[in-house]
Amino acid sequence: MLMLLVAIGATSQTTISGIVTDGREPLVSANVYIIGTIDGCLTDSLGHFSFQTTKTDELTLRATFIGYEDYTQSLTQTSGLTIRMREKATAIDEVVVTASTYSFGKSDNFKTMDALDVVMAGNSCGDIVAALQTLPGTQMVGESGKLYVRGGESDECQTFVNGMHVLVPYTTNTANNASRGRFSPFLFKGINFSLGGYGGEYGQALSSVLPMETTDVATDDKWGVSASLLDWNIGGTKAYDRSSLSFNANYTSLALFNALFPDRYDWTRPYRKLSGEAQYKADLSAASVLKTYVGYDLTSVGQQIDNLSLSLVEHNIYANTTLKTNLGRGYTLFTGIANSSVVENIHDAQVPGDHYHNFRNEVHLKAEVRKVFSPVVKMSAGAEDYIRHSTLTYEDSHYRLDYHLLAAHLDAQVRLLPHLFLNTSARLENASYDGQWLLMPRATLSYVPNKHFQLSAMLGQYSQTAEDEYIVRSGKHLSQSTANHAILSLQYSTSKTLLRIEPYYKKYHHLPLLADGTCTADGYGTSRGIDVFLENHSLIRNLTTTLSYSFNDSERLYLDYTSPRTPDYASRHNLRLTAKYAIGKVIIGLAESYASGRHYPQGTTPYYNSIDANITYLAHPKVIVYASLNNIFGRTNVFGYKTDGSNITGSRDRFFYIGIFVSLKNNKAYDISNF
Amino acid sequence: MTSRIFKSCVLAIALFLMAPVSINAQQMPMQALVGQSLSKLQQDKPETILNCIAELKRIETMFPDSVQPKYLMALQSLNYAVTNPHAPQADNLLSDAAKTIDQMEQMAGADLSDVCTLRGFLYMVRIVQDPAQNGQRYYIDVMNNYEKALKLNPDNALAQQLQQKFREGMQSAMSKQ
Repeated sequence: MLMLLVAIGATSQTTISGIVTDGREPLVSANVYIIGTIDGCLTDSLGHFSFQTTKTDELTLRATFIGYEDYTQSLTQTSGLTIRMREKATAIDEVVVTASTYSFGKSDNFKTMDALDVVMAGNSCGDIVAALQTLPGTQMVGESGKLYVRGGESDECQTFVNGMHVLVPYTTNTANNASRGRFSPFLFKGINFSLGGYGGEYGQALSSVLPMETTDVATDDKWGVSASLLDWNIGGTKAYDRSSLSFNANYTSLALFNALFPDRYDWTRPYRKLSGEAQYKADLSAASVLKTYVGYDLTSVGQQIDNLSLSLVEHNIYANTTLKTNLGRGYTLFTGIANSSVVENIHDAQVPGDHYHNFRNEVHLKAEVRKVFSPVVKMSAGAEDYIRHSTLTYEDSHYRLDYHLLAAHLDAQVRLLPHLFLNTSARLENASYDGQWLLMPRATLSYVPNKHFQLSAMLGQYSQTAEDEYIVRSGKHLSQSTANHAILSLQYSTSKTLLRIEPYYKKYHHLPLLADGTCTADGYGTSRGIDVFLENHSLIRNLTTTLSYSFNDSERLYLDYTSPRTPDYASRHNLRLTAKYAIGKVIIGLAESYASGRHYPQGTTPYYNSIDANITYLAHPKVIVYASLNNIFGRTNVFGYKTDGSNITGSRDRFFYIGIFVSLKNNKAYDISNF
Repeated sequence: MTSRIFKSCVLAIALFLMAPVSINAQQMPMQALVGQSLSKLQQDKPETILNCIAELKRIETMFPDSVQPKYLMALQSLNYAVTNPHAPQADNLLSDAAKTIDQMEQMAGADLSDVCTLRGFLYMVRIVQDPAQNGQRYYIDVMNNYEKALKLNPDNALAQQLQQKFREGMQSAMSKQ
């Protein structure tokens, strides 16, 4: 004991003291210590520190504070130290440039919304596409229901599931009846909707892309049902140790709905759709994830239109398999294969007694390697092949088209300065039917000074093949259409408010142009405008409000246009206001949609207006009830004019929906068990 | 979910279940340092926890290839944040914990069950911080991570207890609505 006391007494202690600042203000709770020991302390409320160390030889001091570079100094003095810490530059892997992209799902960037939000959004009735139409940059095209982005046609927006292309992402319907997205929101954990300026990974999309990521391997079994006046659904998941198998079956029929609420149209056979989906997901190892998806839709509908007894039947099957592997040393390998097949048969398509048959098939192969080289550089490179086949038979005419689209891309993200990031990419494409190569550069420069503010400038070139029919009519010499995007994006966000302003300009080249029965690539066009989005959570507790406004001025010469004009799907002003308020187990939503008139050779339509309301009742942890009424005041919106000058309107002015979601087996509350 | 009782229970569980982790330490010098640091937690004042986290950070710097200091540092940070969800240090500690959990996931010696437990705990703390906004967003993640942790190691006591507490907290929150 005596020896121990002597030893302790003999140990000399040095006191280290000083202050830690960021150059302007003291830093509170910075961790200051001697390297190689645990001797140290946290700075106090004035940034001061003082501690003792028993280390006697060379002393190296370190100070750490989150968000700042570590500070290291060999000590030549032990008191009165002044440590000035420098703010840490964001690592390239941490920065998320949000320009021109709206992200949904479990992310801290920008707007977050999960599947339930999609279901409860305004007048979406569970349709992802309808929910996305609450965002700025999208156009209200009521008779179509598809996504029209920033003055572009609906087919200029392409959908990807787990990185793989979907040839036909919509359900089919007769003319002037809105289509819906064919995927359930409950399939996905993340949805990224890019309205332009996207990187080299995505091609064959002139205006926008909609990549969606399916959920991960399920950890427990569940199954459930849902029902409404329109559709009935059953589905579930079986979880295994490192994998899960999910299935879903859905039957949609408007027979009951039409009987209860008759509409303007004369249906010879009500709209009916039978769908089946299955997913298998497996964590093959800690570093490899396998995901497969297969879905099939059979749609049937008959409508009497004047002297035509139109009958439409469509089979749509989509399947994909992807494998993502972490190769170590920062390398990630992605490989995938997808197949889309769509068969469409229409009787009385244009004249009584005619028959239209169309078969389209696409195989998409893709491989990509991603690597984070350092906190300053991140790169990815990939190659893909679209193998397309289609046949069309209509009366005496028939065609068959087969071609490949080979593409490769290289993307690099570089931190130029602590708050300045450059994302640059190049995409090379070759269409086998005309042999032409296209090299498309793209770049985004972003200034991200802090987590609240982002300013980005984007430039890029994008391409897309025309519809199969136009390629055939050109004698297979139709160049790909191209679009140049220039976008500025300014975003300011706090925990309660988000504001985004994005002016843009697009210039189209080589749009398909019909003349004398042939098709050339002589079309062109421009589209410019500004999108504004404001979201707020602070007005009243549990109230979320959004404002989306888009101004668009577009003009193009394409298809059968005889001179450049504003496309008939484009309206100059689009405004959407939404409010969502939660009171206990009830969530109420209100939405107001306005769009200015659309331009046709016959004239300009009146403005579009609709006020929608919805209510969600969390009746029980395993039961959710949802109801919505669209266009409460029953305004008859005119979407366009037929060639005879008559109005194109929806089949009904108001639309009422009520549905119930029941989990029959699930240990989680308010988690939809079927998808 | 934000009740004082809930938060205290979670802290008590985490502190109690931390002991076996330190006992199983492989490196004696590190073990001694960790033990010395954790012994100060007998007084569970916020400053004491913050000082303990700071000490664990220093130990982690000394033994960068060891999982244990990272695990304890993340766990202590989450403990602090769950009991002091609106303290000025809470957000920084959560950011640091998230990065540490990501690092652990890449380490060969890390127990994936522990990693899932910590990740579930992280989401749980975010719900405690802002139940109205984060409840719906992270609820499934909390449950999935605890379930995965228990699937990988059914005897993971921390995951069992946190899952139980989370369920009780959820039931209590729903019954008040």
